[in-house]
Amino acid sequence: MSNIQNLQTFDPFADASKGEDNRGQEGIIHIRVQQRNGRKTLTTVQGISDDYDKKKIVKACKKKFACNGTVVQHQEYGEVIQLQGDQRNNISEFITTTGLAKKEQLQLHGF
Amino acid sequence: MAEDEAIFDPTMKKKKKKKKTPFEFEATQEGGDAAAPEPVQNLEDGDVGKPAVEEKKEEETSVKADLDTDDLDLDNFSKMKKKKKKKARFDMDSLAETLPDGDAPNEESTQDANDGSSAPPPSDDVDLDLEGDAELFTKNMKKKKKKKRVTIEDSLENGQVENQKDEDVDAQIKAGIPWAGTERDYTYEELLTRVFDIMKAKNPDMVGDKKRFVMKPPQVVRVGTKKSSFVNFSDICRMLHRQPEHLLAFLLAELGTSGSIDGQNMLIIKGRFQQKQIENVLRRYIKEYVTCHTCRSSETILHKENRLFFLQCESCQSRCSVASIKSGFQAVTSKRAQMRAKAN
Repeated sequence: MSNIQNLQTFDPFADASKGEDNRGQEGIIHIRVQQRNGRKTLTTVQGISDDYDKKKIVKACKKKFACNGTVVQHQEYGEVIQLQGDQRNNISEFITTTGLAKKEQLQLHGF
Repeated sequence: MAEDEAIFDPTMKKKKKKKKTPFEFEATQEGGDAAAPEPVQNLEDGDVGKPAVEEKKEEETSVKADLDTDDLDLDNFSKMKKKKKKKARFDMDSLAETLPDGDAPNEESTQDANDGSSAPPPSDDVDLDLEGDAELFTKNMKKKKKKKRVTIEDSLENGQVENQKDEDVDAQIKAGIPWAGTERDYTYEELLTRVFDIMKAKNPDMVGDKKRFVMKPPQVVRVGTKKSSFVNFSDICRMLHRQPEHLLAFLLAELGTSGSIDGQNMLIIKGRFQQKQIENVLRRYIKEYVTCHTCRSSETILHKENRLFFLQCESCQSRCSVASIKSGFQAVTSKRAQMRAKAN
């Protein structure tokens, strides 16, 4: 019975439900820089997978980069990390070394 | 100036000898013209294994050439001759390979065969002129070549520049070819580079990275304390053959600010931005929306289909979709009290 191919139970969405967020547009982590007043800047990190606790990431980042930071809830983009200052290089290095994401998944924006 | 030029050149893979005319967008056309003087320059600069005395002589002669118009003419003429010879050598390549121990001394033949490969490409016009000659050479190559060499050497006794250049070329080639005097087999990499060199020399159009894509740098001026003005915004749009709206949307999304085009087609961006920063963003724009993702040519058309932007390459006819412009998450950077006051 089971050696007839058509009668095997096969879930076509099996691999769509898992592991999809690792590639494609979804898995990309956007790192942006925004200008604030004067020379001050703000770094936002959007798109870190839900598997990770953002608060803990922020806590580690704050300590490592010696800056302040928060987690902002956004209805479309989910939880977004905000860090004070231009932390683009720092955060991308942090993400790759800790293995949160691969280098290809990071996308740097801003000037 | 020169540094900027080097910086703002998105397809800068090879550090080629740059001409001083900066920021020419039509680099493809200019490249053709530039190819003609380049070889000589290269040769003059690239003296590897040359005695110091000769160097001096060359310097002297080159100075002479600069001073005397007559000498200059001679120089030009002999350049043509040299090119002819090079062209002939291209055709000899195959023969030199198949008959490694020909009549000519082995060393010389290998050198000659490889001459064409590493020599910079002559300009197209010259190529066309020389096509006939080159075919002639293929018939009884070796003898003719030798003769040619002798005649050239004779004719340039007073000039001497060409001679030295010739030796120079040979020396250069010897340096570039690892298997020059040895019996060993060629490695794959060596042959591959050689093939590419030959391709580059013979038809430069085929090798993609030959075409440089040089951009004018953006002119960014501070307007007041909080705004920046991108002065040649419309010029750059025209150069890139892109709609100003598209570039505007990209710039504003990337910079995370707001801005608008004013009366003189300048782009006013909120926030302090320097030329370098705008350059970075522009470079990303060019990489994503201007250069073809397959062949890296800049002759592309961007058009919209079903809400998606497609990049159609004019030179390789490839077609691919490009990322849509998204500003993504924007943090609140203005004062919250002000925002509240505005909302009410």
